[in-house]
Amino acid sequence: MTTLACHSVGKVWPGAGGLAVTALADINLTVENGEFVALLGPSGCGKSTLLELIAGLEPLSSGRITLDNKPVTGPEPGVVMVFQDHSLFPWLSVKDNVGFGLAMKKVPKPEREERVAKMLSRVRLSKFADHRPHQLSGGMKQRVAIARALVESPEFIMMDEPFAALDFQTRVLMQRFLLEVWSEFKPTIIFVTHHIDEAVLLADRVVVMSAGPGRIVEEVRIDLPRPRRMTDPGFNDYRTRLTETLEREVMRASDDDGLAAIAGSVSDAA
Amino acid sequence: MTDRTGTFESVAPAVAETRPPGTAGKWGRVVLKGLIPWIVVIAIWEIAAASGWNGAVLFPPPSAFIAYAVESDFRVGFGADAMPIPMAIVISAVRVLVGLAIGFAAALITGIVISAFSTISDMLLPLIRGLAPIAPIAWIPLGIVLFGIGNPTAIFVVFMGVYFILTISTVAAVNAVDQRLIKTARSFGASKPQVWTQVIFPAVLPQVFTMLRINFFAAWMAVLAAEMVGVKNGLGMMIILGREMFNTKLILLGMCMVGATGYLVDVLLVQIQRKILWWQPAP
Ligand SMILES: Nc1ncnc2c1ncn2[C@@H]1O[C@H](COP(=O)(O)OP(=O)(O)OP(=O)(O)O)[C@@H](O)[C@H]1O
Ligand SMILES: [Mg+2]
Repeated sequence: MTTLACHSVGKVWPGAGGLAVTALADINLTVENGEFVALLGPSGCGKSTLLELIAGLEPLSSGRITLDNKPVTGPEPGVVMVFQDHSLFPWLSVKDNVGFGLAMKKVPKPEREERVAKMLSRVRLSKFADHRPHQLSGGMKQRVAIARALVESPEFIMMDEPFAALDFQTRVLMQRFLLEVWSEFKPTIIFVTHHIDEAVLLADRVVVMSAGPGRIVEEVRIDLPRPRRMTDPGFNDYRTRLTETLEREVMRASDDDGLAAIAGSVSDAA
Repeated sequence: MTDRTGTFESVAPAVAETRPPGTAGKWGRVVLKGLIPWIVVIAIWEIAAASGWNGAVLFPPPSAFIAYAVESDFRVGFGADAMPIPMAIVISAVRVLVGLAIGFAAALITGIVISAFSTISDMLLPLIRGLAPIAPIAWIPLGIVLFGIGNPTAIFVVFMGVYFILTISTVAAVNAVDQRLIKTARSFGASKPQVWTQVIFPAVLPQVFTMLRINFFAAWMAVLAAEMVGVKNGLGMMIILGREMFNTKLILLGMCMVGATGYLVDVLLVQIQRKILWWQPAP
């Protein structure tokens, strides 16, 4: 239930001895209230950086970001993030990790425990409530991170490759679960992924970024009825179009690194 | 233990991998391996003494000094200074543990507080780094001047011996806390104080505790030294008493107790680390 607007956003990461990196240059992006936007782009093009800026975790180098027309100055309640590397607290049990945000916001313990238990059963981790993160598989950790974000009933969700470590089955289940949450509460979602199919399957709109420095090169509205399947007529057109754009951008990005040959095989695989 | 014992074991085929984890048999084998050198050393010592080795007067074997302990009813000293041996052990162990506990807590607080304010840490760190290299034993004379003879001096010596080192290590650990965890906490609404108490504090605990363990032996020696030069009881006094009475059995009995007690306290620290502070990534 939040509208996001980025106006010519730029980010330069400071680095000692001339190693500063211009991660983003002139990003203009609007995400409507309740919209589901997927973000595609070659590795290193600044997707995670953009999410950190929107989350108010890092200062902008230029431009302006607003949520519901108010400039972002720091982390906002109601805005949650699923980090790329799940970032679980190793000293907390699974249920305390999931309840972390609620605890920080001083939600009373009985309510917190109830919401955490409900969310754990929805991501099918009830049995692991008292386990520690290091006792979980990579995919389970990612589901804990997703549960930690969704338990807040957020209005705005940013997810950084949340399903990357999941097997095909679990991935499909989690995609369905996310769409369920989305149609139930209508949060605004930005979803970073490397999977073109996943982007077309889930999103209202797919935004493609390019590297060096990160810019938005294409926006594609996905006009397919929901629920969608990869076999739907029209799905393939979107897939082809996005694959071509992305391939071009990956090649361009890696030409800069002199790694075009490797990138070629990467984009074949994608 | 197996990983540290050297080239032969690590080159040998991975025997360790093939045995079922966490069984009683594994424990038994580890304990047995640790005991073998002891048994060998003691056996050689006993045999030498029994076959008329001259040095046995200065180095009476365990059978002799343990018999001596039994004979004297596990008590040492005379009159007002007399003390049961178990009491001496407890007194020394409590002194070092109390000193370590106070030093650990104070260093964590100091380290975290000065890390939070860069001006303060810029001012204080050079001072702390100047005080840290002073060995715990070197604080004994000052302790006696300040606190006279007794428990406070022994605890002071341990405290000074670990406090500065642990403060430096806390500051280093705070600087090394994974920024991603801090960002995660902030994005979930943690306030600044909450980031310090809920993320930075638990994140640095294991590393600072490891430093504490490394510095335990120096602290232990300092307590014994303090007991030898003034503080009038404990295991250190037991050894000095043996020297004053030219009683080598008492000296060796004391040394044996010092070793055993130090070992047990170290085992206790390892257990605390494993059971309570287990989230430190394996070094
Ligand atoms: N904390 C940081 N400090 C300095 N530089 C950073 C930092 N985070 C990212 N960068 C740099 O910013 C650029 C963009 O990184 P970012 O992580 O946003 O890419 P990405 O699109 O998320 O890549 P991937 O798909 O591999 O996750 C990279 O060149 C990276 O080196
Ligand atoms: Mg990323």
